[in-house]
Amino acid sequence: MDAKPPEDSAVTRRQFLRNGARLLAMTGLGVAAGGLATRSTGAATVWQIDPAKCLRCGNCATKCVLEQSAVKCVHAYAVCGYCQLCTGFFAPEPNALTTAAENQLCPTGAIKRTYVEDPYYQYSIDEQLCIGCAKCVEGCNRFGNGSLFLQIRHDRCLNCNECAISRTCPGDAFRRVPVDHPYLLKTTSR
Amino acid sequence: MKPEFELFDRRGFFGALTKTAAILGLAGGAAAKAKGEGTPNPFAYDVSRFQKTDPKLITYAEAARWPIPHKEARRLAIGPDDQLYVCAGNYINRLSATGQHGLEIALSGPACCVAVAADGAIFAGLRDHVEVFDAKGSRLARWESPEPKTWFTGLAAGEKDVFAADAGKLVVLRYDRTGKITGRIGRKDADRNVPGFIVPSPFLDVLIHRDGLLRVNNPGRHQVEAYTFDGDLEASWGKPSAAIDGFCGCCNPIAITALSDGRVVTCEKGLPRVKIYTAAGEFESVVAGVESFPENAHACTDLNDCIHGGIDAAVGSDGRIYVLDIVTSDVRVMKRKG
Repeated sequence: MDAKPPEDSAVTRRQFLRNGARLLAMTGLGVAAGGLATRSTGAATVWQIDPAKCLRCGNCATKCVLEQSAVKCVHAYAVCGYCQLCTGFFAPEPNALTTAAENQLCPTGAIKRTYVEDPYYQYSIDEQLCIGCAKCVEGCNRFGNGSLFLQIRHDRCLNCNECAISRTCPGDAFRRVPVDHPYLLKTTSR
Repeated sequence: MKPEFELFDRRGFFGALTKTAAILGLAGGAAAKAKGEGTPNPFAYDVSRFQKTDPKLITYAEAARWPIPHKEARRLAIGPDDQLYVCAGNYINRLSATGQHGLEIALSGPACCVAVAADGAIFAGLRDHVEVFDAKGSRLARWESPEPKTWFTGLAAGEKDVFAADAGKLVVLRYDRTGKITGRIGRKDADRNVPGFIVPSPFLDVLIHRDGLLRVNNPGRHQVEAYTFDGDLEASWGKPSAAIDGFCGCCNPIAITALSDGRVVTCEKGLPRVKIYTAAGEFESVVAGVESFPENAHACTDLNDCIHGGIDAAVGSDGRIYVLDIVTSDVRVMKRKG
């Protein structure tokens, strides 16, 4: 049996193996370079949501690669009216202004309502429960001062090179911000 | 001669390029679809059932619509001869009963509110002071801010008194016609059974009612309150509800005026609507529902707070109701049906 390849073969076995090894080496080099580039970019900037562009579409709750989204509702207390009837806390037509589950807007009960003094109440976010759905943000913005808004929490965000939520954000609200100023917070408008 | 090392030949290269482009195109299309169309938001804040008004409740129809000359409108008021005074931007503009533009008064800053006395004197509320003009627009006086954090958002002018609603300090200041403060109304006072104004966003209004009492909106409590000129609380009414007979959202009504028979006209934001209540506070009818203010209703969903939306109203001697849409910067003339 003749082991020699035919004369008209385009690639010899030796050439094929050599090309394969080179391709593998180049691919590995590319992956390593890409990884380094990603890491250096990640160190300088992180993802964040611009509250002025957020449309409260609900994607932040469902599109993050994490099982529970890294996006959380945050509260600008300086902007808040401490309303008795907080439209971020209560459903549009509550039976009563109580903390009963059926009166609450948040699907996970992540907003805590604390009495301050008549008729003021403080609202705070339990980030363990918040899924970043923005339902409360919409309620607060539609009727109130807009003190509730979404932010990416960097204690859990993986800072993906291409954020899965940003790809579907209809308001183009996601952008890179310097890592030393990782939040885009609202300040008082009064 | 064929080179020894070649990953792709020319034909293969173009083939691979075409396939890659096709894959990228499909992926891009899918991404665009996910971005633009997507599935309905499972967490949507749904108030659609409150955005349609029962036609049987609407007792007024739009007879005319007048654009106003400046943006950033805030308030309007009726003066003698049914002339309309609108404050917008740094100006107060006078419109005739037929919508013709007349006098224009330039102010030292953005106007927040306006009132006109029966003798024609014009009072312009700026954020922290009041400017006074005669009927021809000549400046007569400037009443300085009595306290820091003042934010005047409503004015009412009587024969001897001018009342200025201060949303910043949660009080209605009573001035005499020389600009001297003669009283403070509405401050929380348990001894006088005054609950205090709750004003989460800058919309506090005041009017002098035909019964001789003031009416002041208390938006955080979803109430309209009646006070004597000396600050005694006589009555209050109103309830929180997104339904048509209540005041919606966190803080409504944002503006009030009154018909000649004493019924009270209220304006709301969030679900922008103008409604009429009896003097005792029973809901009666709708002047204009949410459908009448699509841009205004949208303003509170696109922007990041609702202090840029809102409406105001004033009543003419013939019963016509003039509604100022702050977002579209126009005045709707509402005439009773039938």
